[in-house]
Amino acid sequence: MASDLSPASRRRMQLALLLTPVSLFFAVFFLGPLAIMIATSFLAPGLYGGVEWVFYPHNYGRILGFADPAFEDFDPVYISIFLRSLKIAAFTVIATLLVCYPAAFCIARLSERSKNFCLFLITLPFFASLIVRLFIWVLILRQTGIVNEMLLATGVIDRPLELIYTDGAIVLGMVYIFIPFMFMPVYASVEKLDWTLVRASLDLGAGPIRTFLRIILPLTSPGIAGGAIIVFIPALGNFVVPAVLGGAKVMMLGNLIEQQFLSARNWPFGSALAMMVMSVMLVMLFVYVIATGRRGADVTN
Amino acid sequence: MKIARFLFRGSLFAYTALFFAFLYIPLALIAVYSFNSNPVNMMTWTGFTTEWYAQVLGFKTTVSENALYIESTDQLVQAVWNSLIIASSTTAISTVLGTAVAIALYRFAFFGKRFYRTVMFMPMLMPDIVLGIALLIFFVNSGIALGLWTIIIGQCTFLISYVFIVVSARLAGMDRTLENASADLGANEWVTFRKVVFPQLLPGIVGGALLAFIISMDDLVITYFIAGVDVTTLPMFIFAMLRRGIKPEINAIAVMMLSFSFIVASLGLYLRSRQK
Repeated sequence: MASDLSPASRRRMQLALLLTPVSLFFAVFFLGPLAIMIATSFLAPGLYGGVEWVFYPHNYGRILGFADPAFEDFDPVYISIFLRSLKIAAFTVIATLLVCYPAAFCIARLSERSKNFCLFLITLPFFASLIVRLFIWVLILRQTGIVNEMLLATGVIDRPLELIYTDGAIVLGMVYIFIPFMFMPVYASVEKLDWTLVRASLDLGAGPIRTFLRIILPLTSPGIAGGAIIVFIPALGNFVVPAVLGGAKVMMLGNLIEQQFLSARNWPFGSALAMMVMSVMLVMLFVYVIATGRRGADVTN
Repeated sequence: MKIARFLFRGSLFAYTALFFAFLYIPLALIAVYSFNSNPVNMMTWTGFTTEWYAQVLGFKTTVSENALYIESTDQLVQAVWNSLIIASSTTAISTVLGTAVAIALYRFAFFGKRFYRTVMFMPMLMPDIVLGIALLIFFVNSGIALGLWTIIIGQCTFLISYVFIVVSARLAGMDRTLENASADLGANEWVTFRKVVFPQLLPGIVGGALLAFIISMDDLVITYFIAGVDVTTLPMFIFAMLRRGIKPEINAIAVMMLSFSFIVASLGLYLRSRQK
């Protein structure tokens, strides 16, 4: 680099050098594809895959059940898949929270060393292959799986239970893979919890339940909300868990999107479905930002 | 009151023990049953064997001489190779680019800084299926043939974000007075960067690279959409196997994959904890 440049222009050059490659990369391979996907969701599907370049809002209508009135009747199948995905994702959030919340309290009060070891144990599975962790549950839950074999051998049941390929199996699989996502934010707020407030509440005669509802829960709610969002978003659009543990019977948004792209070849409709997933995500993030923003304001007041 | 408290504490401990059991018993189960010699039902114990490992590693075994057995080791090896090629390339690219943005956002004040920060976080927050199909539409529309290259590019879009976050965290915790000291002592900017900033930053870069490598090796959803028909990665291979029907050596594959990622992850976490 020439040394006779002024410091200001040299800094500009350094900045350009650092940012140009990433800017180009993100513009072409991230923002570009997103824009094309959004555009595709408003185009008409071609007869043999592909798209036709006409404005076609019925992809969205179809999700709600009202597609192109010229061809299709009211059909709530897609809205029911959408609602079912919301339901499964919500159950996943609740179950993950129930699993993580009490454990966070226990771990937060351990000694520094055991605390760090516990956190290590919880983060470790995050790095392990997701598909392998799901596959283990297939071995555990399927008809000839370990649970059924054990129950049969001990004579508790005489016919294998149907454990796999159910909504419950999907929620279980999701809980298993999303535990680190929920635990970390919840733990962060539990660890910060001011126990003098809890003691004050107890001393002033509030019962343990009331103290939990009025003090502990509100103070840890930012962590709960954060965990809920980062579990809900990937759970909603997930297609691997239902594909592995849900079998052919249970369809979620993710499977539906996959189907539109890889077998039905209706890309505009698939894009519209993906936009639904995106918009749910944006709404949740928006609500989160507003809610935490207001709480911050409350504290400063 | 004291007894109630004791009971409460006890049940909280028991609950946490169950929590860890839930996390690790499945992993322990698969490790144990990967040595099960039963070729029909993997979960009914019939005896100890290391044949499945031998099978996966390509040694001759009695199983592979069985006429009913369908050979798939070649495909597996190919999938592992593909995954390694992809992970090394994406790690190299995303580490350089992610580190560059992190440094730029840390050292410079410029117009649009917030926009950059937001865009850098977006790929991580976005459901991976959305990114996967957006890339698929893009590649097909622009006439780029799906294959190794599209996977590498596609994975980099979100791996850059991971590297960015890890390196940014490291930069935020760095001691700026050292830089000033170096400048005061007459070192020019480049020397300061090389001798002062970079050595401090290195653990962050290594950590980001390790994370990128592991996530790349494990990525299924985005790769699945942009892989095309010819290229299969290791997670895709296992996913396909789960859909077609499970074979006993998958246990051995799973255990080797788990060990690999646990070793790399422990190494990364250990390095990070030592640097603190």
